[in-house]
Amino acid sequence: MSGTGRIVLEGIGVVGGFGCGIADLSRSLADGNGHPGTLALSAGSGPIEFPAFRADTSLLKEFVPARTLRRIDPFSRLALLGSRLALADAGLADTGHDRLGVIVSSGYGATGITYAFLKSFIDDGDICASPTHFANSVHNSAAANISILLGARGPSLTVSQFDLSVPSALASARQWLAEGRVDRVLFGAVEELSELIGYVWYRQRGAPRSASMTPLRTEEETAIPAEGAAFLLFSRAEEARAGYCTLDAAITGSHADAGFPLPDGGLLVLGADGRRESGRRYAAVAQNARIACYTPLYGSMPAGPAFDIAAAALTLKGGRFFPSPADAARDFPATVPAGGEPFDGAQISCLTLSGIDDAYGVTTLGRLAGKEDPR
Amino acid sequence: MSFAPVAITGMGCICAAGGNLSDSMEALLRGERRPAPPVRFASNHPVRYPVFEAVDFEGPPDLLRTSAFALHAAREAVADAGLDRKTLGALRVGVCVGTTVGTVMSEETFCRGYLAGDVPDMGPIRRILRSNPADVIAREFDLSGPRQTVVNACSSGTDALGIAGSWIREGLCDAAIAGGADELGRITYIGFISLLITDDSPCKPFDQRRRGLNLGEGAAMLVLASERVLRRSGARPRSFLLGYGSAGDAYHLTAPRPDGAGLRGAISEALATSGVSSASVAFVNAHGTGTPDNDRVEGRVLHDMLPGVPFLSTKGYTGHTLGAAGAIEAVLTAACLEMGKIPANAGFETPDPEIGIAPVREVTTVAGTVALSESLAFGGNNSVVVLGKA
Repeated sequence: MSGTGRIVLEGIGVVGGFGCGIADLSRSLADGNGHPGTLALSAGSGPIEFPAFRADTSLLKEFVPARTLRRIDPFSRLALLGSRLALADAGLADTGHDRLGVIVSSGYGATGITYAFLKSFIDDGDICASPTHFANSVHNSAAANISILLGARGPSLTVSQFDLSVPSALASARQWLAEGRVDRVLFGAVEELSELIGYVWYRQRGAPRSASMTPLRTEEETAIPAEGAAFLLFSRAEEARAGYCTLDAAITGSHADAGFPLPDGGLLVLGADGRRESGRRYAAVAQNARIACYTPLYGSMPAGPAFDIAAAALTLKGGRFFPSPADAARDFPATVPAGGEPFDGAQISCLTLSGIDDAYGVTTLGRLAGKEDPR
Repeated sequence: MSFAPVAITGMGCICAAGGNLSDSMEALLRGERRPAPPVRFASNHPVRYPVFEAVDFEGPPDLLRTSAFALHAAREAVADAGLDRKTLGALRVGVCVGTTVGTVMSEETFCRGYLAGDVPDMGPIRRILRSNPADVIAREFDLSGPRQTVVNACSSGTDALGIAGSWIREGLCDAAIAGGADELGRITYIGFISLLITDDSPCKPFDQRRRGLNLGEGAAMLVLASERVLRRSGARPRSFLLGYGSAGDAYHLTAPRPDGAGLRGAISEALATSGVSSASVAFVNAHGTGTPDNDRVEGRVLHDMLPGVPFLSTKGYTGHTLGAAGAIEAVLTAACLEMGKIPANAGFETPDPEIGIAPVREVTTVAGTVALSESLAFGGNNSVVVLGKA
């Protein structure tokens, strides 16, 4: 890598159950309470409704003409809004994107349009399958729509690794910048809470019993399903025009019993999201590190780790901890810092654990040194 | 921006042409191909479009067929590399797999049940959740390194190979199992028919009378090894991954950019990262799906950028295996370099004046040591790997 070798997070674009944009996320982090809406769908026994973090993409009409949006499915709308917000946050909304790479990570992809495609031929026969639905159901359609509407001709990558989608794809973002393949990477994580995914969630876990998550209470299943998009604009330090922090490492692997490669002394943001299958592994880590956890603000979804990264970036930039959920502070008083407490550590790591096997991901962000802060 | 070569020490492949790489190559060189209407699933579409199914393969019922293909090819590649579980366990080994359907939550039986107001069996959903192709391979061989499942549509396999090469060069892992896998099922079959880009006769890549693609299925995996692994194991490279490039069209979800700008960018980057000049390219294994648009754009780009270089599409023998295609074509390309010859471009008879160049019509001897394998994808991805003879 040429230059300093540092990678800077220049812009953040988020939309989720907390609202839309970095200001809404900051307010939610400071407030410390999640406010889920509801998801209504039909089950075998009749209509059901349960708490869920829903995302409102209506702001997208400020970035994309309504005529274009008519052909864009909800998954791509989430991605387009997140990506435009990240570029705007970095002050790069109106610049050229010739050397921009696009990376999208998603655990489940465009499930709503996929379901619509299946419905088209289940209802009316194979010959009536919808070509438009099929084209938009392809897993990389969101990345493609971003590239097409931005005119971005750099490389494009879509990664689907379920819980580990975000850290796995982030490693590729680092590689692209390190190899000089691109000047910037527009990296995003997207999850759509479609009717299909909502029903699968309901069948797997039942309806959430509470409208608040207690992710470190590992004996209980408290996850609340969510949708949203978190986009992060990365660049090499010498290209950066603004910045929150540096992206120091993005590591994935398995055999977590051998220990995670965690940095010394910093803060560890846990991706624990109230699912029992990974809760115990997170709780074990929480015993031995200074931790924070913000998933109760945006819910449970494979894209969640990108929101963790956004929260960590805001902590590094603001120099103060955001409050973690009440159960975390109660159950781990020695390791959970209070909200508002100053944070002067050099790094924050975000830990993601798989709910399926022993895979893990660790993303480490660093404080911008004064002379490196492009601003 | 020149990359250090990455050694390829093992390769495995399964597709309609054969259950392993050796059988597949023999079939290609004999000119054998067996497109036929699907036998593993039914459709009430009035036209029975030919496909290339791996009809003899049966995977375990608890895995998606895609991941079973991936595992089958990975076992062949690992054995070919002379690696055993003990050696793999002592190394940090990553897995990078391209696919289109290997992670998608689309299961027709489940959706039919839900739409009917039933309480459908969750077994198919659980099977999807435990079948992520990269996870399946990592768990099978108890690997500790990075995992990534690339879902870049039809360039996924090529991109997975390029990404894994980057992991090796950067020291993220000592070795990597990389490739692509995809099964053919009703949803994909019906979807491509709906796009009006499938041929109701055997596909004819680059032919003037081409009418579309035939779908296929299968997987290919390659073992990439660092210098450390080569020193430690004494393994001999079969081939080298010399370069990789990818670029976007930013044009359309399902059609290639007419001027081929994205593909031109990908070829340029692949050649630059390999440090290879276009004059030293022995042949190109083209994407060559047999659709009018793809072959016209790709042919014109080859005409302009690699004039006089022999080229072919192997999809006339394998069908379009989507996320597996880039990997299958990479191992076939490497095997052709080893053998010093390339098969005929199956289905080609009549040159297309709109393209201006023609693929090879018979088994052709190639003398060089470097070849390209190209993939063009829905979404506008264009990806190219440069492979070198060991």
